[in-house]
Amino acid sequence: MRVLLSVPASRQRSPRRRDGDVRVTLVSASVKSSTRTRLEGLAILLVAGGYLWEAHNVPDLFQMPGVPGPTTFPYLLGIVFAVAGLWLLASPADLLARRRQPATEGRAEERPTPSKSFGARLAAEWHFYTMWAVVVGYLAFMPFVGFPVATFVLLVVFTFLLGEERWWVVLGLALVVTTVIHLGFAKGLNVRLPLGVLESLLK
Amino acid sequence: MFEHLLNGFAVALQPMNLLIALVGCLVGTLIGVLPGLGPTATLAMLIPLVFSMPPATAMILLTSVYYGSMYGGSTTSILVNIPGESASVITCKDGNQMARQGRAGPALAIAAIGSFIAGTFAVLVLTLVGAPVAGYALNFGPPEFFALMVFGLCTVASLTGSDVVKSVLTTCFGLMIATVGIDLVSGAPRFTFGNPFLQDGIDFVVVAIGMFAFTEVIVTAIEVREGTRAEVIKAERIWLTWEEFKYSLASICRGTVFGFIVGMLPGAGATLSTFIAYNLEKRICKNPERLGTGDIRGVANPESANNAASGASLVPLLTLGIPGGGATAVMLGALMMLDITPGPLLFEKHGAMVWALIASMYVGNTLLLILNWPLVNVFARVMSVPAKYLMPIVLVISTIGVWSLSYSSVDLLLAAGAGIIGYYLRRNKYPIEPLILGLILGSRMEQAYRQALIISKGSNLIFFTKPISLALLLGAVLFLFLPTLLAKAKQFQAARAVSEGAA
Repeated sequence: MRVLLSVPASRQRSPRRRDGDVRVTLVSASVKSSTRTRLEGLAILLVAGGYLWEAHNVPDLFQMPGVPGPTTFPYLLGIVFAVAGLWLLASPADLLARRRQPATEGRAEERPTPSKSFGARLAAEWHFYTMWAVVVGYLAFMPFVGFPVATFVLLVVFTFLLGEERWWVVLGLALVVTTVIHLGFAKGLNVRLPLGVLESLLK
Repeated sequence: MFEHLLNGFAVALQPMNLLIALVGCLVGTLIGVLPGLGPTATLAMLIPLVFSMPPATAMILLTSVYYGSMYGGSTTSILVNIPGESASVITCKDGNQMARQGRAGPALAIAAIGSFIAGTFAVLVLTLVGAPVAGYALNFGPPEFFALMVFGLCTVASLTGSDVVKSVLTTCFGLMIATVGIDLVSGAPRFTFGNPFLQDGIDFVVVAIGMFAFTEVIVTAIEVREGTRAEVIKAERIWLTWEEFKYSLASICRGTVFGFIVGMLPGAGATLSTFIAYNLEKRICKNPERLGTGDIRGVANPESANNAASGASLVPLLTLGIPGGGATAVMLGALMMLDITPGPLLFEKHGAMVWALIASMYVGNTLLLILNWPLVNVFARVMSVPAKYLMPIVLVISTIGVWSLSYSSVDLLLAAGAGIIGYYLRRNKYPIEPLILGLILGSRMEQAYRQALIISKGSNLIFFTKPISLALLLGAVLFLFLPTLLAKAKQFQAARAVSEGAA
């Protein structure tokens, strides 16, 4: 596990705010966080509902009389999961904290700061989304495209996304690593790696 | 017992096993040195490789990697001020201060010696208590085993996260994933949605690699883009003076004992043990104000605690089949994949393997001391391998780990899904360890639950009428809610103090 010890540059550069501004931001952040918690609670309730529904659909013929059947344990889990999701949805600790807050305080502060639009967030964090897209694409298409080609492309794109811009380093590293890993695992450890589009060429 | 141990040494000292232990120690140390790659993810990646090995050799590899990573974590804490893994966070305080004062060598030396003493102590206790504890646990029936697993899951849920509800949710989610596939008792397909690939269930390795390795790659990749690399301080002399050793010996002993006791609890793990041991050290030792300013005791104590805890976590794993955290949960999964079920019968049924494993831990500890102390600067140099080259390679090797399980594209997609969910959970402070533990223990827990209900003719009261089961369930409830109640009490006291102050 890595621990961040340096303050990100973006935070260091932010202009100094007045105390009131800081409080507004903190409160709006907490409002945002409790909304997310409630949404998570709702999602968990939906998953629990789906899980219990699927458990209910297990055919009766598998259920022997007087013996706990295949649905006994799933029902127990589904109920515990749903109760915990309901707890998040209700967020009683958050409700109590709000009730304790004096009425004069907070009204103006609870207005959340305008959040960034999806487009703006995408533009700011495109590296992050691209990295996940590359990982998911690699895992989805590797069996069909083949290990060597997919891995080569993955290494090129990922190393570039991580800030290496010298094309000869990116290509050279991708080629060497792909070859070494393929030979090491396929020949050395007998792991059957798919050749995909190179199958006719290499076999 | 000593006859068994000698037989164990005969197996552990076979050239092949010795070589495996050496490789495991080296790999583990490298993993410990590299920030961003933890022992749990590495063990999960290694599991497909150990399939073809004899059980004793496979377990020797996994435990030596686990031990090695605990040794290696201190190196970066001291030389770079970045903990290689979470159990070395506290070592940064005094370790890096010592390095800045030109005393990196003694800091590294005491870390190695403390780790050796603590590791050896832990294995010694495991040798002495392992078989008797397992013998006592033979009295356990299905209700006791179910309660024991509930206790293990609750302690892990309570100690690994900051929010009990979130920990309960992830534990439950892991147990729910474990119910996917054909029910072994009735043959009913459950939660397969008609997909034949899901009938065998979801392999825990797929989820572990997705949630630990893939997530780690993305998290590190983001940090690489945002952060900067810290300066590596070189250790000029690596020896320790006799005075320095004498000065830190008591701290080593205290760290060892506290670390071991805390490490025995399922879920406490090495990280928590270092924090507890260090805080206790501050209260007990002479001149506590020196701790945090580059005092050698501030390295000796947490490093001893984390190694003692690592050894201690193997006691419940091997004797009761209850792992203490993420890494030991993966080891449990590996044992089960090798057709060995850890628990009370392990010492009877697979005695040769267990004693070879225990013997190999003595050997591994010695190897780590011999290897790591003189080679510390070499290991520190590994830090200079840029993460932008390393992380894509980790990603590829992790993918091979998933693929080689059953050569199925469904596994790869499940791993991708697990990675995305794991990333979300991690960012939003949902602990992942309870999920993996729930997934691994799920089928055994369900089996024990159903067997207990058959015995009681469907009555859940059986769990409350058996004394051991009742005690374990009460312990589970206590572990789950006590930290929250204590925190509330603290908040209440603080609020009262503030209100009194204002008045």
